[in-house]
Amino acid sequence: RERVRAMFYHAYEHYLESAFPYDELRPLTCDGQDTWGSFSLTLIDALDTLLILGNVSEFQRVVSVLQEGVDFDIDVNASVFETNIRVVGGLLSAHLLSKKAGVEVEVGWPCSGPLLRMAEEAARKLLPAFQTPTGMPYGTVNLLHGVNPGETPVTCTAGIGTFIVEFATLSHLTGDPVFEDVARKALKALWKNRSDIGLVGNHIDVITAKWVAQDAGIGAGVDSYFEYLVKGAILLQDKELMSMFLEYNKAIKNYTKFDDWYLWVQMYKGTVSMPVFQSLEAYWPGLQSLIGDVQNAMRTFLNYYTVWKQFGGLPEFYNIPQGYTVDKREGYPLRPELIESAMYLYRATRDPTLLELGRDAVESIEKISKVDCGFATIKDLRDHRLDNRMESFFLAETVKYLYLLFDPDNFIHNDGSVFDVVITPYGECVLNAGGYVFNTEAHPIDPAALHCCRKQKEEQWEVEDLMREFYSLKKNKKFTLKRASDHGEGEGAKDPEDASSEKGGEKRNSERNSHSLLSCPSQSFNSKLAVLGQVFLDNT
Amino acid sequence: SCSRAKDVTMPAKLPVNFFSTRSPVIDLFRGQLDYADHLRQDSEIVLYFFYAPWCGQSIAAREEIEHVASRLSDQVLFVAVNCWWNQGKCRKQKHFFYFPVIHLYHQSFGPIEYKGPMSAVYIEKFVRRVMTPLLYISSRSKLLDFLSNYEPGVLGYFEFNASPQPPGYLTFFTSALHSLKKDYLGTIRFGVITDKHVAEEISLVHSGSVYLHRHVNTSLIYPNDIMNYTAENICKWALENRETLIRWLRPHGGKSLLLNNELKKGPALLIFIPYNPLAEIHPLLDEITKVALEYHNCNKSQTAEPDLRHLGDTDSPAFDSSVPDAHMKLPETFSITKYPCCNTVVLPQWHSISRTHNVCELCINQTLGVKPNKVHVPHCNFLEIEAALDSFYLQEHTFFQVISNTIECSNFLSFYSPFSYYTACCRTVNRHFLSFISSEKTIFQTPKVAFSSHGKKDNTQRSIPHIEDRNCFIPNLHISGINITGLSCRTNKTLNLYLLDSNLFWIYAERLGASRSIHLKEFAAIVDLKEEVHYVLDQNQSLVGSALENFIKNFSILYSPLKRHLVDDPSVHFHEQHVITEVTTNTFHDTVFLSEKNVLLLYYAQWCGFCASLNHVFIQLARLLPPDNFTVARIDTTRNDLPWEFMTDHLPTILFFPHQRKEQSVKFPEDFSVNLPNLLKFILHHSSLSSSEPCTKECLHKETVLQQGHISHLEREIQKLRSEITALHQAHDQLEAQLSEARREEHRLQQQKHTLEKQHKTLQLHSEQLQATYDQKNQELLEMAEKLQELADASENLLKENTLLRILVASREGKLQSKDEIKEPLQSEQTLSEDNDVSVSTATATLEKKRIDNIDTIETEHNSGNRTE
Repeated sequence: RERVRAMFYHAYEHYLESAFPYDELRPLTCDGQDTWGSFSLTLIDALDTLLILGNVSEFQRVVSVLQEGVDFDIDVNASVFETNIRVVGGLLSAHLLSKKAGVEVEVGWPCSGPLLRMAEEAARKLLPAFQTPTGMPYGTVNLLHGVNPGETPVTCTAGIGTFIVEFATLSHLTGDPVFEDVARKALKALWKNRSDIGLVGNHIDVITAKWVAQDAGIGAGVDSYFEYLVKGAILLQDKELMSMFLEYNKAIKNYTKFDDWYLWVQMYKGTVSMPVFQSLEAYWPGLQSLIGDVQNAMRTFLNYYTVWKQFGGLPEFYNIPQGYTVDKREGYPLRPELIESAMYLYRATRDPTLLELGRDAVESIEKISKVDCGFATIKDLRDHRLDNRMESFFLAETVKYLYLLFDPDNFIHNDGSVFDVVITPYGECVLNAGGYVFNTEAHPIDPAALHCCRKQKEEQWEVEDLMREFYSLKKNKKFTLKRASDHGEGEGAKDPEDASSEKGGEKRNSERNSHSLLSCPSQSFNSKLAVLGQVFLDNT
Repeated sequence: SCSRAKDVTMPAKLPVNFFSTRSPVIDLFRGQLDYADHLRQDSEIVLYFFYAPWCGQSIAAREEIEHVASRLSDQVLFVAVNCWWNQGKCRKQKHFFYFPVIHLYHQSFGPIEYKGPMSAVYIEKFVRRVMTPLLYISSRSKLLDFLSNYEPGVLGYFEFNASPQPPGYLTFFTSALHSLKKDYLGTIRFGVITDKHVAEEISLVHSGSVYLHRHVNTSLIYPNDIMNYTAENICKWALENRETLIRWLRPHGGKSLLLNNELKKGPALLIFIPYNPLAEIHPLLDEITKVALEYHNCNKSQTAEPDLRHLGDTDSPAFDSSVPDAHMKLPETFSITKYPCCNTVVLPQWHSISRTHNVCELCINQTLGVKPNKVHVPHCNFLEIEAALDSFYLQEHTFFQVISNTIECSNFLSFYSPFSYYTACCRTVNRHFLSFISSEKTIFQTPKVAFSSHGKKDNTQRSIPHIEDRNCFIPNLHISGINITGLSCRTNKTLNLYLLDSNLFWIYAERLGASRSIHLKEFAAIVDLKEEVHYVLDQNQSLVGSALENFIKNFSILYSPLKRHLVDDPSVHFHEQHVITEVTTNTFHDTVFLSEKNVLLLYYAQWCGFCASLNHVFIQLARLLPPDNFTVARIDTTRNDLPWEFMTDHLPTILFFPHQRKEQSVKFPEDFSVNLPNLLKFILHHSSLSSSEPCTKECLHKETVLQQGHISHLEREIQKLRSEITALHQAHDQLEAQLSEARREEHRLQQQKHTLEKQHKTLQLHSEQLQATYDQKNQELLEMAEKLQELADASENLLKENTLLRILVASREGKLQSKDEIKEPLQSEQTLSEDNDVSVSTATATLEKKRIDNIDTIETEHNSGNRTE
């Protein structure tokens, strides 16, 4: 853990020294460059990592630097997707963590604040991209002028479906529903355009809704779409998103899964088009563990780990049958996905193998990519040649997940045993009770905060009415029955059967088969022994 | 995820030393594989350590290798090769999928890859095995040692006579090395017999015969006539036919189905012991294997002891019939059976007035399992008898039923020694007979004395006999009727036995509930994957043969007294007070069933996203509910097992246990979203607060209490509202401040506007002035143009004059010419006039040029005028 901390500061201090206020550090030439805009991206991205490492004072300093220095009124063509996950996501999480970091917050926090306003401003700059006939956004937008005339309408799937976490958070915090609405509309458009066998390709024309690239898989171009369906479902307790994911999951298992690898297939026919494993796919085991598919997750993870052992990193593409890298895709830009999965899986299994991966990652990154000015992207895993780039996700994600893997007591892993109570003008909120949802750039969002700002007075009065029942002896029977029937109506789309089954004890058993979508299966008995590489086959 | 091409790149750093220069390991960090091969020629045994410098596992294994090297460097050459550097020979020739890779060479034989744990002791053991793949069995005692080992053994008999090496010997030697390739832990041991007499003891007569020793099944001789006599075949034959009574499980750490495959075979007894492969003796292991042997020993007598039985066996090896004389008699020393010593015991009766007593003859028998070197005493010593009595009284209920005059005998096992069992023969006698006996024969004359050792724990005569498991007493448990010998064949719940090294795999034990505080890493558990249960041998008992035997016996009987072990989360501290009570396996019953409150129990797991995002809802709920009547609790089902009836198959699950009707728990309906109002309604609906009975005094009191609770709740609410008001005030102030800020801003802007307007006016004025200047300039320019026109006209005139002049000159010339013809001396004058002509034309050119210049000036001026405008 201390080595990871030292890694962070080595890279972070050199960024500040040589590259700030550019987006990224160029570690070989010791200077900076703008890559995704001109937002001092690495600084925004690394902000919450500072807090996770416990550096409160630097967090506070950076917050004030960002408030003064970052301007989104610039004539820059920015990727909608990258700006959202890195800038909006980074600012949102910094906003939600700022109180914990000792930043003096406004009275309306967490429903208002300077960082939230910045995030909102950045997000508004992206909204013009969503003005398409399908509701699916363009890939690039000019921050000053909106979508450029002649902009290509081809966007990757992930670039369409990776907004719900940030945008729903923004909507819940600010009260402006426009963000969540456009994000949902885009998700639904993708869902509508899935193939007959239930798969999506990786590039689509947002005007005509025709698939341009028809390779279906879980990696590059698609990855965070699936991730956000699950994380959106968790964050918003949203069954619809989850049911979409589960449908996809079925198709993915049917058509792309072979021997715990996930291949690329043609989205309409289901035939294998590329038998490769991509570095970006390594997030999948982590996602599976979030919904309780821990055993499958572990099996896939162990496959991916063998690739790491072969090269000291994950090549962008790995040809599975040949057991080697794919031409022109031999690089490893210090991506976090495998470490991310290890962190999630370690939460679930406490398997020392996962710590071993962490150790291997620390050794590899230090031995291979550490240079005087930071950590350089590995251009070619075959000979470990380095490239003059340090992506901002190295500090935002790779280092963060590594540190969290080795720090099981970090506040991010809070299981709900500690929490903060915050009085806001909207009422009392319980915050920081754990269950943080990481966006795809590893920026944690506190799900309780969404509930805090959204909370309406009606719910409070309802709760107050109900509480009165707890303190009265006589009338409550009548009240309770009335409440019980209210219960069904209040939920909207519940059929009367459900409402009555809640009353009748006998009917519950028949209901057992239909489990809520928002639940994880319990771990099976053999999971006790599924550590140190041991995997078990399903009994079925 | 697109990346731009960058020009600047940097090649990987050059390789440096991986091992220190003082290390006994030769470090070829430039991957000089050719040099490594060259080195091999000088040494009999070579260990290659192929590493990648960035690889964590290589770095971790480095120390272990150095440790082994420091111990064996005089006999083994240790060579480390960097097989990553792409300029190195090694990387170019070898293609490894993981690092480090350890290869061993025995002279020309190799490579033998080591695939075992990267731990110094295991590596050293393996290297030693490669150094001496064959054990030399020179005497009978060595043979017995070899055969008594629990690991399968292969023996070859070779006569070393005249020829340097008997035929087949080299093949046999190679097959021993070969087996290490397949079986990296070397579980099959290879021995060679050179002495004819020793060979005869295992019925080998022909030099070159190979023999596979098996404890329970018939031993085999390598079928030369069926299979070719090659190293591979011998090795394969041994692997296929070896007997595995008890297996070591050593997961390699990569993805593997080892446990899956083994545990799917049926219930398994996993025994965890700390194991040092280098140790000379393993007493605990011997004891365990003895149990295993007994357990699998189906068709032999009870007193069989592995090595002896085999030698005394009438079952000869399969190829044995040709040599009937090969049987040898048991050596005297091994056949000694200890004389039993007996004592009479009077059993106490439940009714003290009973006139009859059961009298038992208690004898101590020693099994043949006793070690030959043990000292035998003809009489029982006091301690032995006492031990026997203890065991006896534990079984005594068995004998209570005996009320006939016939003598009935039972055997039961000692708890203290795996080698002895007791026999008790009982009959009923009347009192006077008893007194007669007691005065004469018994050592412990009175029941009082007899129970002295036993009565410490319980009220003497009412004590409940029990076997081994403290928690569960099953009446009528006739353990004495069961014997471990051959149990595996007699029971329909056959166990597979496995050993695990707790130095490496203790985590599995912890997963099965081994206590973390324990110093001695010994643990045994029976895992039944199909039934999804496991049982644990009481950890307060030391892991000895007898305890294991009882454990196995208790598992095997029809109504097993073993209880499913429930793993409990040790990290939860009960005394910690949280808003939400954390329940564990151990506290489940107390918290949920014994408490006087309504309990809402949440089943969760930390890793489940849907649970964690609801934390805040439950915290709010717990803070709202009156703490006197309600407990909000939760249980992490990943770390805490619960009895089947309380298990849930999905998380999160919310159960409500109403006060006074705890058995009628209700589940929060899954299709309702989990939020505060819904939870409150659910609780209200099912809680037992409601009562339709007429109000009594008690009820009134209750109501008062409730009202008071309500009042305090409301007070809390008021407090909350107050702070909310404060917050609102603050927000108001903040807004006010922002508003005034905005106003100031507006004012400032207004002012700015004024200034701007003023500036605008000035600018306008300026612009007008400029316009005027422009006009003026324009005028001037026009005038200038006119002047120029005049000039042009003038030059026109000049040109005309010029022409005239020319004509004039021409005419003059004409005249002069005519004069010349007459008058030669006038020539010089003519030249002069030509000169004049030239000067005139020059002047004309100058004039033209000047005009052009003037026009240029006009244009320039015009441009500048524009610019000014």
